Amino acid sequence: MSTRTDVIIIGGGATGCGIARDLALRGVPHYLVERGDFASGATGACHGLLHSGARYAVRDKEAARECITENAILKTIAKKCVEVTGGLFVRLPGDSKRYRDEFLKSCEATGIETVILSPSKALELVPSLNPAIEEAVRVPDCSIDPFRLCLLNATTSRRLGGNILTHHEVVEIIREKGRCVGIRARERLTGEIKEIRGRIVVNASGAWGDRVARMAGSRVPMALSKGSLVITNHRLTNVVINRLRPPSDGDIIVPNEAVCLAGTTSIPVDSPDNLEIDPSEVDTVTTQAEQMVPAFGTTRLIRAYTGVRPLLKASGTEADGRSISRGFQIIDHKNGMISILGGKLTTYRLMAEKTVDVVMDVLGFKVPCRTAELPLEGQDELSGYPLSKRLSKLDDIVCECELVSRSDVQRAVNAMATPYVGDIQHRTRLGMGPCQGGFCTYRALGIMQEMGRVDPDVSLSILKEFLQRRFKGIRPALWGDQLREEQLIESIYMGILAMGQGHG
Amino acid sequence: MGEHGYDVVIIGGGVAGLTASIYLAGKGFRTALVSRGDPACCLSTGCIDVLGAHEDPMKGIDRLPRNHPYRIAGRRTVIDALEAFLGLMEERGLPYRGSLGRNTGILTPIGTTKTTCLVPITMEASSGFTTTHIHVVSFKGLRDFYPSYITSRLANTSVSVFDAGTSSTLGLATKFDEPSFVDDFCAWLSGLELPPGKIAVPAVLGLKDPKAVLQRIRASTGREIFEIPTLPPSVPGIRLFRALKDAFLARGGHLYWGNAVASVETRSGQVEAITMAGPCRPSRAHARAFILATGSFVGGGLFAQRGSVRETVFDLDVKVPGPRRDWFLNDFFSPGHPVEASGIEVDSSFRPLGCGLKNLFACGSILAHGEIMRHRCGHGLAIATGSAAARACERLLS
Repeated sequence: MSTRTDVIIIGGGATGCGIARDLALRGVPHYLVERGDFASGATGACHGLLHSGARYAVRDKEAARECITENAILKTIAKKCVEVTGGLFVRLPGDSKRYRDEFLKSCEATGIETVILSPSKALELVPSLNPAIEEAVRVPDCSIDPFRLCLLNATTSRRLGGNILTHHEVVEIIREKGRCVGIRARERLTGEIKEIRGRIVVNASGAWGDRVARMAGSRVPMALSKGSLVITNHRLTNVVINRLRPPSDGDIIVPNEAVCLAGTTSIPVDSPDNLEIDPSEVDTVTTQAEQMVPAFGTTRLIRAYTGVRPLLKASGTEADGRSISRGFQIIDHKNGMISILGGKLTTYRLMAEKTVDVVMDVLGFKVPCRTAELPLEGQDELSGYPLSKRLSKLDDIVCECELVSRSDVQRAVNAMATPYVGDIQHRTRLGMGPCQGGFCTYRALGIMQEMGRVDPDVSLSILKEFLQRRFKGIRPALWGDQLREEQLIESIYMGILAMGQGHG
Repeated sequence: MGEHGYDVVIIGGGVAGLTASIYLAGKGFRTALVSRGDPACCLSTGCIDVLGAHEDPMKGIDRLPRNHPYRIAGRRTVIDALEAFLGLMEERGLPYRGSLGRNTGILTPIGTTKTTCLVPITMEASSGFTTTHIHVVSFKGLRDFYPSYITSRLANTSVSVFDAGTSSTLGLATKFDEPSFVDDFCAWLSGLELPPGKIAVPAVLGLKDPKAVLQRIRASTGREIFEIPTLPPSVPGIRLFRALKDAFLARGGHLYWGNAVASVETRSGQVEAITMAGPCRPSRAHARAFILATGSFVGGGLFAQRGSVRETVFDLDVKVPGPRRDWFLNDFFSPGHPVEASGIEVDSSFRPLGCGLKNLFACGSILAHGEIMRHRCGHGLAIATGSAAARACERLLS
């Protein structure tokens, strides 16, 4: 049995979700197919920065201009996803003054507003800064919630008749006479295959772009580069802190919800799957972050994570990840597939707009894009983080770190009818705190069993899989209080629950 | 500052420190115990894992590496210590059951079998749980217990849920301390039509006198009942801790609870005194001997830094298994990550090596090469080494 539509989008990151919303607003029927949950690739593994563009101003003026334009748009249409933190570029003793001059000039040339702050002014703004800084430059950087951004884009798509299938992996692109005419996707848990027929396939699979293109008999040139980050237990700054020097490892700290993220590294990789984080990457990021915010070195890290930048390979060069343009490219393979490659979270909307423009040309429709002017739908229902609400039913709390109650979990399970505990974690923040789900995942799975959403027979293997995945992120950054907690978690699962003794 | 003098001061109020304290107070020494707060024991199942990795824990001891604390204590001391523990718990009204020569298996909240050696009387009937019908009783809203984990794995089971109006294990345990609540519970149980077999409940059968609760339920239902250990905080862990603490006080020991060691004084190869900082005014305690039983990472005796591990009271040398990248293996379920071999190496009298302090002893999970998860020897190691260190200390004091 197969379903018919006009456009099939592969990939549920910011770009894919943005394309779905754009198509919905232009009245084009579509399906979005995503292998995991939303934002499970680079979108969810980035530092959650809404760039001002200043980071790219020196080397890549076009990308910088795109960033500052989209920065202004997202601040307006996605208010509930963006925290207007502002950003600083701090210059430490030894950092090049010439680069600073070039930086200021480039920002001016690209329309990025800058304010130079004296060390004392900067410290007034961010008391945790290294008091030895030479100066700071203020730019309009913000922090953004990538997962929420995807959810809200998908909301519009769904409301206007779009179909979104998460946890479906594309296993085949159906071709007839050399043209892509549809896909087959497999549901991850049940293995059920769905066939969807469409007129155009949009490849928005980010780092998996080449793999998807190959299924259609094409290739796209990509240079995959892994970037690792660490998460602190709490906020150390309310302002984005960048290092005022050419892009390099560990040059940014971004406040996000209750925590700070710091990154990144840049290491070429062959495959976007099965990424490992080396403890030395954590050391690099921590040591660099510590130079900008000294308390970083003694703050508890709750874990590390890594993602792959879906960068385009510049023709004929083996350039390293940092010197490759953050600009994007749309490739019409002329076989019914259009690939959108490169770019970044900040410019996702623009990337979606340009991609849909191409799609509309191919389909022969003419409807203008409206995504820049209409606010994202569903923002009013977002709760934010009202502590009073979360503490009102203390007896009911099942995730003590993030104060998520049993009824929050039940509500999310009912709303989504999902068998995936990860979906519940992403939507309720259950398990996102210091214990990283060490206590509450067992509980959430228990609640899902009670509700008949998870087969108790498989719940232990789900729990096991979760603990392995969780440990992968925790292991590279294990010392201090986090190691202490990890030893406790280990004693729970290995000692009290006797997992890993050949059972379950 | 308050000034106090003792024969011996034990630092750390977990199972190891309490075992040592009870022994020495029982011998008539002026004994003080200093603890920052409730120990990691309160997070444990309360079961005494002696050597889970071997069917016969006593035989298994001789197969451990020579530097394992059990080997340093010697098999005889381990047996004596565990037998003394059994006697002590009988005395405190919280009897433990089991055989040192053979491990037993008890039911966990996810339906797996936990291998352990000595279990509180409330878990005695759990042994052999696969051979009979198990009726699992849960409590409405209880956040740490989901019977479906068990019923999906065990064929011969059934479930019913009692509404006690509270969602935490500690809240429930407090209710079971009231006889009228136990009566209500028994009346409800008797009203259920249960097939022949045993009854299993999460471990909440009271903090004060679980033995009496157990007997009361057994009498009214005519069935064996046992507790299933739960996630921390754990009622059986707290019972074990309280029983040991009370035994120490009953022997005339002096307790400094909620006190951290702020500084130590040493002179010519001896620890002279410690200064304690607690909720009240700081005080200084001098003694002829000191025992360090502050635990491993969870207990706070060891603290890991980015590239090294620190001992938190005396800044003793810590044996660490290589650089940080080697501390943990990739597989979370590895039978033991290398980091757990970290700790203080001791001589045959349980005195830390390399510090030159002749009147300082160490015991419990702070000891190097214990590898508690790998060998599954948690409280057993604490009891055995607590006792061994206390005996060595006794020789010094006499």
